[in-house]
Amino acid sequence: MKLISLLDRLAAPSVTAVGPAPRRALLQQLGRAAVAALPLGLGALPAAAGTKDTSFDAVTQLLLLERLQLTLYTQALAVTGLIPAAQAADFQRMLSHQTQHAAFLAQALVSAGAAVPSVPAFDFSGQHNVAANPVLFPNVLTNYDNFLALAQQLEDLGVRMYKAQAFVISDDSQLSKAVLRIHSVEAEHSAHVRGLRRGRGAVVSTWPSEEDAAIVRPAGAQALTTAATGGEENAVQYRAANVKIPFYNFLLSRDNTAIHDPSLAEAFDEPVTSFVAQAALNLFV
Amino acid sequence: MPDTPRPIGSDAPQLAQPRYTPIKRRSFFMYAGATAGATALVLAGCSKDSDTTPASTNTTISLGTGDVGVLNYAYALEQLEAAFYAQVKGLTSTPLSPAEVTYFTQVAAHEAIHRDFLRAAINRDAPGKLLQDLTPNFSGIDFTKRTMAAGDSKLGILDAAKAFEDLGVAAYNGAGKLIKSPAYLVIAGQIVSVEARHAAYVRNLITPGSFAADDQVDATTGLDKALTPSTVIAIMGAFITQKLDASTVGH
Repeated sequence: MKLISLLDRLAAPSVTAVGPAPRRALLQQLGRAAVAALPLGLGALPAAAGTKDTSFDAVTQLLLLERLQLTLYTQALAVTGLIPAAQAADFQRMLSHQTQHAAFLAQALVSAGAAVPSVPAFDFSGQHNVAANPVLFPNVLTNYDNFLALAQQLEDLGVRMYKAQAFVISDDSQLSKAVLRIHSVEAEHSAHVRGLRRGRGAVVSTWPSEEDAAIVRPAGAQALTTAATGGEENAVQYRAANVKIPFYNFLLSRDNTAIHDPSLAEAFDEPVTSFVAQAALNLFV
Repeated sequence: MPDTPRPIGSDAPQLAQPRYTPIKRRSFFMYAGATAGATALVLAGCSKDSDTTPASTNTTISLGTGDVGVLNYAYALEQLEAAFYAQVKGLTSTPLSPAEVTYFTQVAAHEAIHRDFLRAAINRDAPGKLLQDLTPNFSGIDFTKRTMAAGDSKLGILDAAKAFEDLGVAAYNGAGKLIKSPAYLVIAGQIVSVEARHAAYVRNLITPGSFAADDQVDATTGLDKALTPSTVIAIMGAFITQKLDASTVGH
């Protein structure tokens, strides 16, 4: 797993920092601060925000996500006839953003004196580049609807990962500001892909909704669905662990009937833990 | 509260109704104390006028300092958005297509929920610091037009929706660094991505494929817009009657 704390690695002299690397010291310090704050911090945070990840872990995982997304769009755009001509520019634009995001994250690692991981050989079939393995995501690069379904789930996953990791790196002002600004771009991408699917007859909203038709996958691919939209039906928001903001009851009390309204859950996108996110990313490497 | 109607929110009857009943602050805090077995109570309302900044159109209203300032800032934005969509939703004659009306009705619910959520959060964590209800001024919006045509002086519905959603995304993105409590940062993140989804939707209605166009997402960095509270409040000024001061937000 890439989620172990890499504080020690950052601190180790074997990491070859070339020249002054101011961010390296910063990351190191922040990582330690984050861990030191855990016993206190965990009790006061929503479950999804509780994590032992360091800034390094966060940036590394987000880089993997961006590389996965940009590889998918690069390969899809290279397949003649997969993406309709009318939408090619849309995916070019998203690819361009993802390429910029990946470059930014890689640069953050370089500035920190950390090594940039090599790009894995992604396999969008879920076979892990082994022909004998079962296909979890069939025809992603030959069937437009299948491609869109995967694209939507990866964009949704991106929204949730950035949402969670923005917290992990919230002490690094420059990084944090940029990550927040990438986060909303992921949401715009997701909204668009969802709109494209709706235009092709899929029952899907612009935002994750319990009214969306489920994307049917083999059991082996469940990790992606869980990471992309699992828990989106959550209609209760927490101020701190076990302390609800009372708006849920506030709304339902309006006429003393417990009304089930999907809007309550739709109005808030949910974060995902890095552990759950990594399980999804691992399906493709 | 009993003496003044609430100008924003009153147009979303199913959500706003509890506010017309008197506050039960004591009960509210019993709930807020959040003992697990707290009995369900009627959260009739969360504020009363004595708790809020006095209404005035002549004086400038400060949004406050620290995290409460940020929350009030978000609350101001959500009040504006909720009021706008409530009006769109309630039009008896609309230039929007039925599918668009359905969609904007859902967006109206999201924004009303954001507004009420922030209101509940501020009342819980900073009693007495809640920003007053704002009075919208939509005189610059022509609710009979879907989009403005060349020569029009007023925004059409979609133009205004795009302006509000883009502004909301940039506002939350710019406010993130001002939030000190991690829990609020997470909450803000949970709201801003929904705003971004709204923005992408309405942008595509106006110009297909403009969901993340270069006027919103920087073409060289791939970063979405971020604006400071003071800049956002200045832009909002055209749409609300009260004068707001965001200079101390987050400080």
